[in-house]
Amino acid sequence: MAKGILIAVSIGIATVLLIVIGTIWPVSTAVFFAGGPGLGGSASTPIAASRRLANEIHQHALAKAYSSLGNKAQFTEQEFVSDLTGSTLSLRTYATLDTYEVRPLHESANEAEIALRMHWSTVVGTFEETRDLHLVKNGDHWVVDWPLVKKPVVPPQVFAVNYLRWDVIYRGAGDDWGSQDVDAPHVRIIDMHPVNRAEGVVVLGELLNEDVVPAYVSVRATLLAKNGSVLASEDSFDKISHTLLPKQVTPFLIRFPGVDISQIASIRMDPISVLVSASADPVIEVQNQKFNGPPAASLNGQLSNQSGQIVNIAHVLTTFYDKNGQLVWVAGQYIDRALLPQTPVDFHIPVPADLAKNIANERTVVASYRSGSSD
Amino acid sequence: MMRRTLLMTCLLAMPLALAAEQPSVQVEPPNLHGSRTVESQTGAAVVRDYLESWQAFRTAMDQNRADLLSPDFAGTALDKLTETIHEQAAVGIHTRYTDRAHHLQIVFYSPEGLSLQMTDDAEYDMQVIDHDKVLTTQHMHARYLVVLTPAEARWRVRIFQSEPAATPAD
Amino acid sequence: MNARFLLGALVLGVASVSLAQSGSLSLPPTFVAGSAFSLPTTGSGKAVFYIVGPGQALRRDVDLGEPVSFPAGTLYNAGHYVAILSSGASTETGQFDVVPAAQPEKISFLAKPSRLPVGLHNGISGAAYIFDAYHNLILKPLPVSFELSNQSSTVQARTVTTRNGVAWTEMDSATKQGSAKFVARVGDISSTRVIAEVPGDPCRLVMTARPDGKNVELQTAPLRDCGGNPVPDGTIVTFTESYNGMQSTVDAPLKQGIAKVEMPAYNGARISVASGVVAGNEIRWNGR
Repeated sequence: MAKGILIAVSIGIATVLLIVIGTIWPVSTAVFFAGGPGLGGSASTPIAASRRLANEIHQHALAKAYSSLGNKAQFTEQEFVSDLTGSTLSLRTYATLDTYEVRPLHESANEAEIALRMHWSTVVGTFEETRDLHLVKNGDHWVVDWPLVKKPVVPPQVFAVNYLRWDVIYRGAGDDWGSQDVDAPHVRIIDMHPVNRAEGVVVLGELLNEDVVPAYVSVRATLLAKNGSVLASEDSFDKISHTLLPKQVTPFLIRFPGVDISQIASIRMDPISVLVSASADPVIEVQNQKFNGPPAASLNGQLSNQSGQIVNIAHVLTTFYDKNGQLVWVAGQYIDRALLPQTPVDFHIPVPADLAKNIANERTVVASYRSGSSD
Repeated sequence: MMRRTLLMTCLLAMPLALAAEQPSVQVEPPNLHGSRTVESQTGAAVVRDYLESWQAFRTAMDQNRADLLSPDFAGTALDKLTETIHEQAAVGIHTRYTDRAHHLQIVFYSPEGLSLQMTDDAEYDMQVIDHDKVLTTQHMHARYLVVLTPAEARWRVRIFQSEPAATPAD
Repeated sequence: MNARFLLGALVLGVASVSLAQSGSLSLPPTFVAGSAFSLPTTGSGKAVFYIVGPGQALRRDVDLGEPVSFPAGTLYNAGHYVAILSSGASTETGQFDVVPAAQPEKISFLAKPSRLPVGLHNGISGAAYIFDAYHNLILKPLPVSFELSNQSSTVQARTVTTRNGVAWTEMDSATKQGSAKFVARVGDISSTRVIAEVPGDPCRLVMTARPDGKNVELQTAPLRDCGGNPVPDGTIVTFTESYNGMQSTVDAPLKQGIAKVEMPAYNGARISVASGVVAGNEIRWNGR
């Protein structure tokens, strides 16, 4: 009996002792997940100082991150926040820093260069960003000089716009048989090509709006086996420019993970089009596209918004062709920053290295989304 | 022509013959008088959906449940049958239809594909029941003129109207 | 009660009396939808009279010996019906048809498409279903006139007789763009649909270039289809500039008949233009 009481008292004392130790000398990981100062609370090394900054960004503790910077006198806290979250509504606005990596580039007794590679999560996937941090030793700790990307300034000017848009009045909900309605736009698949990849079959193609009105489009592909049964059916999801103006062409890409091309006897393609209200603006120029071959094959270029309106989200889609004009691949990238008028923004679209050797030219289209716009 | 008629009759009759209560179905080749050609798949779908609409019609009329009609009927046909069911319920009767035979022929397919007309020389029994009392059982023979229109996944009956058997089709 | 019933009909005011015999009612074979009629009865006592079919279900309490009256608009849905006179254990029945009224009151006009390119043979189709005032399809043959008119083209007209209640036709789209009226008419009722006759693909796509500072200004000639109709504004024209392994592209919409863009001016650059599947000319830029 007395032995049991002794054990209970010992456990009680040990528990209280551990709580006291945990409170006075907390583990940095626990502090981080509890929303405290974070991992790498110490800035005793360049790596630790970089990690601490990245953790603060991760926790969205941007005021704290700003206050720790060595070069904060060069810009305001608002400019720092705009640099990370975008000065206007864009993919960055609601992005969260998912993971990061730090890589030392150079270090001396009092200065260091660290590459901070950040992986941001957005509703349309992830995007990566690398900032080269300059760090300076200040006493017993290191401080980060943040490489601020200045917000581009658009010079005051006036754009003359011949505003062109289409509005649609549909028939009412009543079932008045035979009453007039407006037909869906005529669209046509002008090219289609299945490609066998390690992860499965990919169906590539191009869709043309051959009508005189705008169309909201999508493409569904159904794989049929030799016995006529349906193997799989998928649609183009976001690998297509959904709004097509008259005579505009969009590429599309449809993935069938886990399916091998040898299983397929035929493919049924179903283009879908709906008449929608749309605007002919803004016009976005795709400038200085340059294809870089293997091993790190990619298409680089710039987008330039030719209108006077801000484009909040831009989606670049490129069709790659071989020297005979046959489809080789379709790839795309969302631009994480808003497109300001007349302000070029870089894009970079990676291409599978094994396909890159076949690519002879390409065609790029841009889908754009504007805040407060229904089109 | 004859071979095609027989083939379609057999194809449709075979699964139906498995169930003793199912009506006999005979499908004639379309008589389109120059209107749009009916693909065999479309023809088969129309016949299948029309026969299914009879099932819905039978059950709805017997149970006085208009809600059973909407998957198979649309527009005027739906409105009129719904109204009949409400009238039946109001006067305290229900009707039990048992279709015995359908002799079907597509007679028009509109060029834009939005409507298809079919005749049905139908034979059926009709029981009128006042509460639980069978008032009468009648054997009927009527020529139905049916207009079907395509919906999302099936053809729905939009006009369901019989005409006196003596009236010539043309 | 063992009643014998005398039933007849008064259709559109004309009496036609028949005797019921051996449990079978004798009725006129047809009634016109919506017309008034009266059925005399014989005998004495109470009975219930039913008219039941897929189209309607009616019930009337009857004093035998008195006529049963049905005012105009009571029985109006065309179809095959059973009439039942029930009195105690005795029931007498008969079958008859209700046929559509002769006068057309409504047209369901299915016209397609709502929009099509100019110059298409039989590109427009219309099917007209003719109904009476009670939405019964009128099966008796009726002449339906179809007329397609566009301000800049001759009127196309033809008359087609209905078969099983429907008449249909096909017509050509005009050679000039515009809004066409497609009318189906039977008697003094009509139904109109509006068909947009729109230009076809650009027939000839030509651009010119002129220097504008560091840029080259590219502009198409007014785009027309092969019938001379101006291609509508908003149509996308794609300009592509290739220079030294690099490429720039712009998808520009036609505005006021032309597409116009500025692209970087590089001597030796090749600039091409296209719209949909129609390719235009190519320019090699040399600064002028």
